[in-house]
Amino acid sequence: MILNPSQKRGLVGAAILAAVLIAIGLIVTYFGSRYQLRLVYSAFVNLLVVLAMQVFMGNARLTNLSHSAFMGIGAYVAAICVTPVTVKAISLPDAPWGLNTFSLDPVSSAVLAIVITAVLALIIGLFVVRLTGSGVTIFSLAVLVIVHSVFLYRTDIFKGNQAFFGIPQVFSLTSIVVLSVIVVFLVRLFRESRWGIQLRACADDEVGAAAMGVNIRRLRLIAWVLSAVLLAVAGIAYAFFLGTISARPFYFNHVFLTLAMLILGGMRTVTGAVLGTLLISFGLECVRWLETGPVLLGVDLPEVLGLSGIALGVVIVLTMALRPGGIMGDYEIEDFLLKGQE
Amino acid sequence: MLDLNGITKTFGGIHAVEDVTMSVASGEVRGLIGPNGAGKTTLVNLISGLLAHSAGNLSLDGEPLDRLRAHQRAALGVARTFQNLRVFPSLSVAQNIDVARYSGRGSAMVDAAIAEFGLSDKLNQSAGSLAYGQLRRLEIVRALALNPRVLMLDEPAAGMNEQETDALGRSLSWVRSHSDCAILVIDHDLKFIMSLCDRITVLNMGTVIAEGAPKDITKNQEVIDAYLGEADERAA
Repeated sequence: MILNPSQKRGLVGAAILAAVLIAIGLIVTYFGSRYQLRLVYSAFVNLLVVLAMQVFMGNARLTNLSHSAFMGIGAYVAAICVTPVTVKAISLPDAPWGLNTFSLDPVSSAVLAIVITAVLALIIGLFVVRLTGSGVTIFSLAVLVIVHSVFLYRTDIFKGNQAFFGIPQVFSLTSIVVLSVIVVFLVRLFRESRWGIQLRACADDEVGAAAMGVNIRRLRLIAWVLSAVLLAVAGIAYAFFLGTISARPFYFNHVFLTLAMLILGGMRTVTGAVLGTLLISFGLECVRWLETGPVLLGVDLPEVLGLSGIALGVVIVLTMALRPGGIMGDYEIEDFLLKGQE
Repeated sequence: MLDLNGITKTFGGIHAVEDVTMSVASGEVRGLIGPNGAGKTTLVNLISGLLAHSAGNLSLDGEPLDRLRAHQRAALGVARTFQNLRVFPSLSVAQNIDVARYSGRGSAMVDAAIAEFGLSDKLNQSAGSLAYGQLRRLEIVRALALNPRVLMLDEPAAGMNEQETDALGRSLSWVRSHSDCAILVIDHDLKFIMSLCDRITVLNMGTVIAEGAPKDITKNQEVIDAYLGEADERAA
């Protein structure tokens, strides 16, 4: 495979981001407490989600709000497959279609979860690609609500808001750091690939792109399905570490959180996706600490419940108002380092 | 050979293009002139598939195009530029050209065209940062990257000064000597059109009112009344 200059630069950029992620992983592994390790793990899960969102939203520049639903589908399918029959006999006694009569190894469960999520995304995507602009946003919001309702009301399969427990804990912080590094390279190479470039051309000018031979619907479908596959991976990583899942983490609060991450960093670039995730993950921990009413510099601060929600909203409002392209805009990290080489 | 047979386009009862029949042979440069609103750009949009014609049929080397969508026609070699530029500002110049190169039939002349149109040292620049004249040339190179069988240029000299127009004319002659595609040029600069084209088709109110060699067109009374006369008045 011969790489063109922008793809070579993409590899450099992805390598820099990967180095940062590996460094965070190493620091937390050697110096972090158990609590901090869990926090960083969930930040890495969100990173996978935000990178997956970047594939579709960043390249096609259409807003998708159903991403947490696809993450949930991946998580639940993997959980149902991998949980031992003995546990399922207790947790899912009324499961239909013999779902509580079998159990698969983690790899097969993950593969099946990815395939099922991809097929569902393909079917839904066939409708998505016929829409433009706000149509996609509204449609995807409806998908989110439908999927969440299914999780809530088919308690015989998903247990709704109750915990779906007994998922073997097969992932560690190391696994998710490795996974994140792979996904960073994948997402960046997609952005610089033939498909990524043609998708961005469509986002700039649909008419111009069509006249240059670009099949807009086909490309958007590819990005949509790839995004869903990566979301399933994030869901699987979530379930395989926590051991317990429920419907709530795959709904609106998570949609909003990850959206704030992508918007703050800048959805057009992979660097933006990574930066936004790191900033919000860290910032939100500080806000949560403030929320409890700590003593800061001798001043006893009041307890402010809901401060984190306000903070996220403010981040989105301020970013959209002051810097709509996010912190990174159209810049990837290597643009600062390789500037002289243009 | 591009063939149009009875091509008609109506917008809610108004005939924007009516019963246009014409053929442009491979290697031919055809001028398309007429007053504003004559339907020239609409005709280009119909050929490139951005608009669907209401009646008639279109073919390229005998292959019908009627049922193909714009991107499919482009992949077959129906290339065009736009009067109001449609480059991709967030991509680099090289990526703008790649967008077409990826979907086209593969073209050996693109690298030479990049040099001929003076874009060699701009390849890594963002297309959004180019000057107006460079954007116009980028649009042409991008269209050439489709390895066109038909190349349609919608007012390529618009907004250019005389020297730039002369340079463009020389570059288009270069294209002619390196590709056997049929070229269809719309422009209001008659000197440019007359010196470039083998034949000229004149549109007025959506219909063809004359077709012929440049010297015959300038003597055609109907053309003078509909278009050339108007141009003289504007100049006066």
